[in-house]
Amino acid sequence: MAAVGGVESQPALPDFRARVRLMEMVAMATIVATVAFLTLYPIYYLLQASFDVGLPDTRPPTAYGIANYAKLLDYPAIIWNTLLVTFAATAMALVFGFMAAWILTRTNVPFRRALDQLMTVPYYVTPLLGALAWSFLGAPESGFVNQVWRKLGGTEALIDMTSPFGIAWVMALFEGSVAYVMISAVMQSMDPALEEASQVMGASRRRTMWRITLPLVMPGVLGAAIFVFAEMLGSFAVPLVLGTPARFYVITTAIYHFISQYPPRIPLAAAMGVSLFAVMFAMLWLYRWLTSRTSYVTVTGKAFRPRLMDMGGLRWWLFGIVAFYVFLSAVLPVATLAYAASQKIAVAFPAAANFTLEHFRQALSINAVRVAMWNSLILGAVTATLGVAITGMLAWIILRSKIPGRGALEYLAMFPQAVPRLVFAFGMMWAWLVFPLPIYGTFWVLLIAYLTVFMPLGVRAISGVILQLDKSLDECGQVCGASFLYRLRTITAPLLRPGLLAAWLLIFVASVRELGASILLMGPDSKVMTPAIVEAWFSTSSELTAAMALIQTLVIALVILAFGLLTRRVAHHGAGAQ
Amino acid sequence: MTSTSAPAIAVENLSIRYGTVTAVETISFTVDAGQQLTLLGPSGCGKTSTLRAVAGLEKPTAGTIRIGRRTVFDGSKGLNIPAEQRGMSMVFQSYAIWPHMTVFDNVAYGLRVRNESGAALKEKVHYALELVKMGPYAERNASALSGGQQQRVALARAIAFSPSVILFDEPLSNLDAKLRSEMRIELRELQRRLGVTSLYVTHDLEEALAMSDRIVVMRTGLAEQSGTPAEIYDYPRTEFVADFIGSANLVSGEVVESDARAGTVVIRTAGGNVVHGVTHGRPVGPRGTLSIRTVHFTLAAKSEAGATNVWPARIIRSVFLGDLTQVHLDWGGQEIVVRQIGPPVAAAGEVAWLNAAPSQCALLEAGR
Repeated sequence: MAAVGGVESQPALPDFRARVRLMEMVAMATIVATVAFLTLYPIYYLLQASFDVGLPDTRPPTAYGIANYAKLLDYPAIIWNTLLVTFAATAMALVFGFMAAWILTRTNVPFRRALDQLMTVPYYVTPLLGALAWSFLGAPESGFVNQVWRKLGGTEALIDMTSPFGIAWVMALFEGSVAYVMISAVMQSMDPALEEASQVMGASRRRTMWRITLPLVMPGVLGAAIFVFAEMLGSFAVPLVLGTPARFYVITTAIYHFISQYPPRIPLAAAMGVSLFAVMFAMLWLYRWLTSRTSYVTVTGKAFRPRLMDMGGLRWWLFGIVAFYVFLSAVLPVATLAYAASQKIAVAFPAAANFTLEHFRQALSINAVRVAMWNSLILGAVTATLGVAITGMLAWIILRSKIPGRGALEYLAMFPQAVPRLVFAFGMMWAWLVFPLPIYGTFWVLLIAYLTVFMPLGVRAISGVILQLDKSLDECGQVCGASFLYRLRTITAPLLRPGLLAAWLLIFVASVRELGASILLMGPDSKVMTPAIVEAWFSTSSELTAAMALIQTLVIALVILAFGLLTRRVAHHGAGAQ
Repeated sequence: MTSTSAPAIAVENLSIRYGTVTAVETISFTVDAGQQLTLLGPSGCGKTSTLRAVAGLEKPTAGTIRIGRRTVFDGSKGLNIPAEQRGMSMVFQSYAIWPHMTVFDNVAYGLRVRNESGAALKEKVHYALELVKMGPYAERNASALSGGQQQRVALARAIAFSPSVILFDEPLSNLDAKLRSEMRIELRELQRRLGVTSLYVTHDLEEALAMSDRIVVMRTGLAEQSGTPAEIYDYPRTEFVADFIGSANLVSGEVVESDARAGTVVIRTAGGNVVHGVTHGRPVGPRGTLSIRTVHFTLAAKSEAGATNVWPARIIRSVFLGDLTQVHLDWGGQEIVVRQIGPPVAAAGEVAWLNAAPSQCALLEAGR
């Protein structure tokens, strides 16, 4: 990358220039090859396994065929379950997201800014924690809500979180916040004058809504729908916690089941993984195509201040709706886990003697838990630090360099987004088992997995920051005679710092709570926290699991808080430099 | 639609506040039918808020707004007719061309809202498009237009349904300078031809002077001066207007003589120069400031002795501006800027004779 600046600064020496160009090409080729290796090597082994119809437990395969794919048809229930849960969850998540986005961007709801911040909290609460909590609330027999319902005179269970709709409900609660972020961005990017023009020309509110507003936001909402659908298709934690005990499998949990059962059915699981990946890939391609083709709204990339409709007294109801969503997806789950974890055996109406701190004490004293938590934090910090460096470099090359091959690099770097983490980890597991380097079952393989699966996250976060940085700021430094490295140190890095810090935190949090990849790749000596929580859920008491999940959430919250306090000065300094 | 005898737009004691922020303190003006009134002022002066209040897009805090004989807003009665029922039209700063429609559909919108269809609709849309020279573009997708083309389509859309009042919110500010000066003239012609009443908002002086029948200069939510373009230009009321209109020399001193009936005033500056001017009906205090435009000064190599408003001044430098030459002079310790046609009468460092007709030296009112 240093070569990029060098090209212009030495125009008098063609020989030097040629050498720099050559170095640049070699460096770029190395980078592309590394990223391609990280992202495509596991997929290669996944594909190989899915077509393996030879002798079991023999690698490389002795025969190839499509029998594994044909076998998928023997499991229509899994396909049906997956579609049912995914469609139901997508529909609910979009309703939540659309409603919240409309309320928060278009009406004069009170405390708008606070609500907007709160809408992102479910993302930090995580679907796993939500699934655990909603299991306490809505298990058909022991669920708190059902206990209260029976106390009130009900006979049947009021809600059943182990049903497809229960699973979809919990998934939607947490994905709703993603849908909100996407849809509100679409709504904010619409010039309010487009609606005002219609209104001033005499169109009624309804006409304006149907003819102007909806057609303009629809492509964006549709894009969000496809994105959310793809995410739901690959979602793992919620169906694992809520569905597995009732033998309700969706495709992700089925893959996990086939891999972890004895004897494992690797080729079948691989065929399922490849099919899932193919569908998700197609969906995300569709999403990209749709948003790039019909996004008249976001064409300027400028955020407008939309006109707020005066809702009169209704605005407090709207406030209530959004607040209730945040309550269901963030407050209630955490409160439920706290309530459950502090009882000997969790019930809705405990006797005073039932309360205990034993589970917390136990969770903190189990060596395995302490080690796993510590491992997760270290691994998260290393992943975030390396990840920011690597994805920062990738984003810079993709957006700011003119080196040939940067388009391919972008595709490669964003590729893991189209693969559910569980499936990707499956490919990695299968790949690293035969790789000459003996890192399978160690932290190294987890680190490589995290760096790969969170590459799209990092590249996207940092790209956003780089795009905001006016090119002329750097060019001005160049004209002033500063070398590339000097400019990097004095101009680019200080301006990017707040964004890089935010990306660090994003990758850190994502790594610490990672489940799908970790559950397959961690070894006995490389335990991490989130899979440990899931293991505890299936093998020890649910109260202890609740305590563990709470401790993990608390630790993450503390890290975020400490990070915020530590970087406030830095971020402020960075903003001041702009 | 509305009677032509009453003013087409009448705004009375309008004030607009957002929480603790006052956008418009209080403003009143009327626009006669078929006329164009321009609200002129720097950004943040409340001109756009006023326009949006007339459109019904902004809710004022107090005052009344009448369109023709119909009251559309009355703060004391709590009356606020929504924008869609005010029967106006508007051209937006961002053009607000609907990107999901064709040019034709954009222009036809107001007509379709009014339940027009078929051949009549088609004819009116094409007429409007012809007026703005966008006829061949009817079937284009609106998102594929250049800025200037979007501007024209926005204009066609605003006039297509023959509204009696059109509001313009800085419609030319996103165009480049050349296109802007062309559109200025076209827009003025069109407004005259259609006889439509228009309320126009801009921060661009030339635009306001070229296009308006009347101008209201606004500053921090209040009207600073209102009048015809010539009046505003020749007799700025306050230092703010003189400064905003630009290219004026402000000369202050103690008042040594004044004649209320003749409307004349004489001041003596700190540098000892005596300047004769006109009061233009403005109150005369113990001190006064006169505004003298740069082009209203003349420079001569020689002068008649003892003539009124003739002073010696030393040339500091002259700057060639193309059509004009700008000469900076030291005038008894004060710098005076003169713009004239042709080369300066003397070189830098030499003394020339500066002259200004007393009728061109207008007394200002004390500013706020």
